Amino acid sequence: MVPFTPLPDQTEPPPDSHWRAMQQTEVLRFVRSLLRAYDVFGAQNKRGRIVLDALQDAADLLLEFPPAVHSPKKFLFPNWDQLFRFKLDENILLQPETAAPPRIIFGMHPCDLHAVKILDDCLFEGETDSSYQAKREATLLIGVDCTPDEYCFCTSLGTDRIAAGFDLFLHRRDDLYLIQTGSERGLQLLKNHAPETFAGAEESPLPLQVKQCSNRVKFPIESLPSLMEEAYEDDIWQELGHNCLGCGSCTLLCPSCYCFNVQDKLEINLQEGQRIRTWDSCQFDQFAKVADGENFRSSQADRQRHRFYRKYKYLWDKHQRTACVGCGRCSRECLAQIEPVEVLNRLFAASPQPAISNQPGSEYQPQMARVLEVRILSEQDRLFRLQLPQTLDFTPGCFVELSVFGLGEAPFSIASAPDGGKQIEIVVRKAGALTQALHRTREGDSIGIRGPFGSGYPLANMVGKDLLLIAGGRGLLAIRSLLLAALQQRQQFGRITLLCGGRNIESLMFPQDLLDWHQSGLLDCRIAVKDKHNHWGIPAVDVSYLFRDLELNPQRTIAAVSGPPEMYRQINPLLFRMGLDGEDIYLNLERHMKCGLGKCGKCQINNICVCQCGPIFSYNSIKHLGEAIER
Amino acid sequence: MKVKIGLFDFAGCEGCQLTVMNLEEELLQVLQLVEIVEFRELMSERAEQIEIAFVEGSICRPGDRERLQQIRDRSQILVALGSCADNGGVNALGSDRTPEVLRQQVYGSQLPHLYTETPQPLSAVVKVDYRIPGCPIDGREFLAVLQALLLKQQPELPSFAVCVECKLAEYPCSFDYGQVCLGPITRAGCRAICIDGGGHCRGCRGLIDNPRTSPYHRILEQYGLSIDEILDQYRTFNIGEQESGK
Repeated sequence: MVPFTPLPDQTEPPPDSHWRAMQQTEVLRFVRSLLRAYDVFGAQNKRGRIVLDALQDAADLLLEFPPAVHSPKKFLFPNWDQLFRFKLDENILLQPETAAPPRIIFGMHPCDLHAVKILDDCLFEGETDSSYQAKREATLLIGVDCTPDEYCFCTSLGTDRIAAGFDLFLHRRDDLYLIQTGSERGLQLLKNHAPETFAGAEESPLPLQVKQCSNRVKFPIESLPSLMEEAYEDDIWQELGHNCLGCGSCTLLCPSCYCFNVQDKLEINLQEGQRIRTWDSCQFDQFAKVADGENFRSSQADRQRHRFYRKYKYLWDKHQRTACVGCGRCSRECLAQIEPVEVLNRLFAASPQPAISNQPGSEYQPQMARVLEVRILSEQDRLFRLQLPQTLDFTPGCFVELSVFGLGEAPFSIASAPDGGKQIEIVVRKAGALTQALHRTREGDSIGIRGPFGSGYPLANMVGKDLLLIAGGRGLLAIRSLLLAALQQRQQFGRITLLCGGRNIESLMFPQDLLDWHQSGLLDCRIAVKDKHNHWGIPAVDVSYLFRDLELNPQRTIAAVSGPPEMYRQINPLLFRMGLDGEDIYLNLERHMKCGLGKCGKCQINNICVCQCGPIFSYNSIKHLGEAIER
Repeated sequence: MKVKIGLFDFAGCEGCQLTVMNLEEELLQVLQLVEIVEFRELMSERAEQIEIAFVEGSICRPGDRERLQQIRDRSQILVALGSCADNGGVNALGSDRTPEVLRQQVYGSQLPHLYTETPQPLSAVVKVDYRIPGCPIDGREFLAVLQALLLKQQPELPSFAVCVECKLAEYPCSFDYGQVCLGPITRAGCRAICIDGGGHCRGCRGLIDNPRTSPYHRILEQYGLSIDEILDQYRTFNIGEQESGK
């Protein structure tokens, strides 16, 4: 058997995927062949319900269906799972039985595959759960596209499609299926059990399909952390607690809930027994109860809140994704009609809008900032040091709106480090009337300012890590803010590497800073310009060239990338190739952030507003957005 | 030394004792550990001392109280076996009228030997140490309780509702078929056998420790039930709970 490797996390179909077309009859033949070699579990109609179960006859297998009652969790992390056997009187442990027979789950929906990633995250983190691992290794996952029903809301979470994490995936195309391989095991399976298909010509890849769900979260899911941050004391939890029956159906049916109980079951002879793991539920009375009778989560309201926080907050803080995949199983079976989409939308509707209103000058009316210093960086760039009436709270990558009465306003990245003071540095590149007017201002003048806005690079999360900063053109503004912040506490970080690219020396934003950093010894600063005849005498290459002899430890490294869109298309694959995780790559996706209040719609990427959720995003948080990088 | 156990019965259908007998293969294994010293369905012997007595049925006929007291006196541990013994069960269904009216309505005036009082659970007469609910009991639960007692542990009943076992088995929800079901508030342990059989839960195992009656009643009202109809749902097996459910 091919050795087990944890799933890569990516949105693009793996480049080594094979694509084969299969008629429905060939699929049937394929399944028959699999049945002769494996235990196959698939979706079937039982008592009018769609249930994943052991398949006896290939003809019973459903290929297009809404979510089954239980998710494939019931095979990978079963409710009754023997951890080991023991002998009572001799007090000895018998050999643990972890071996699982090779088997196939045929009919994993994209949401279910996402849920397996969540289980992987939780059960492989720290001490690997060997019982789960054994089943995971022994199980081949074959994905199929789904037909969402009125409870599904995967489209709101970006879990309606998946690019990896399966062995095979059957995409429906008109009257046939396009089979995509996702692993070496899947490829072998296809070769061995559908040889005719495999002998056929390779089909061109399908774009990942997008589903239509009428049940939708009515705000960008990136707003969840701040929303949940504020919602802890909300009255809604009391209401849910008041309505909840405490039956636990929501968590038992959830494809990613894995809380469990461990108990001993004795044989009738009372001489031996087994220690077993069964599913538990945070909704049950005894879940948080300890031996002396104390119940640490005694009200149903607290239990419901806990469930929502585990789904939408706690895992987000750790992995920037929800522990919910939008399959709708919890609400589909909830007699009390507790529906996460409704709860989240109500929380959002009740949350203060805009969320940043506590910051100075956040409405349309600017405050006046005094120009303390004007520094000429180049013919086109001037740096302004501004003094504001209040102290500013921002993270590197945030921006402000500068305005001149009569000429309007425009967004500018903050180029200085957040220092808790009242001063910031802004660089204005001369372009239109507004920037020309700004260039004419002198020390002592006043200009209009609103902000700061947005969410920047999470510097606190980067402490203790190596930083790989990659800047292209004007992208250096946000990176400078981040770098200066890191240099203020240099000892808190490991290696810092700055890769900076530009068209020519003249277009580099902070040439003097770059030279200073290069010579400082505090960081590894490498510069590339495309212009052959540059007076610095550096090779005329593009920034990706600087990766050539770059050595980094992918586990320790956080990458911050800031530049034009084409740079991400070029740099991201390099970072993935070096082994970086999508969680550890932060991108600056600045758009035309005209209002900064999440209202004007000009900076929207698909359904999210950059000015509020960004402009700095982790790769994983935006990878499902088609407009983010690909446009 | 095998532990001496006895099985006894009062007013009931003997279904719970039959469930024990139906354990057959497991029962033979159990006999390696216990000795059945009194069990009317199996034998005619009578024992002076019993370590664990399992008592089925409710108390309603002349002489029942005295006989139960004697069993209690002879037994170290007394376990109520099944709904009738545990909470009066279906026998208590007629307790909304006096025994005289009930007798008259059912038998007329010609059968004085069928004299009964309002059926009561064992706990109305003697101290009950443990209980195995259900109509009938679940054989596996009987074994689990017996195992615990043999190991001198406290037997534990599930604290969660029948819904849990129903969902685990992926049965369709009775409410989806327009049937009122007591599963959400009834103690699990039956593996939702009635729902498996195409029926709905009538609550034979009694309520869970912390039944969420107010959300439950709201749901029943949404399904169009009046308060009286809701109480009717409880009445089959949960006469005693009826008042608290109000």
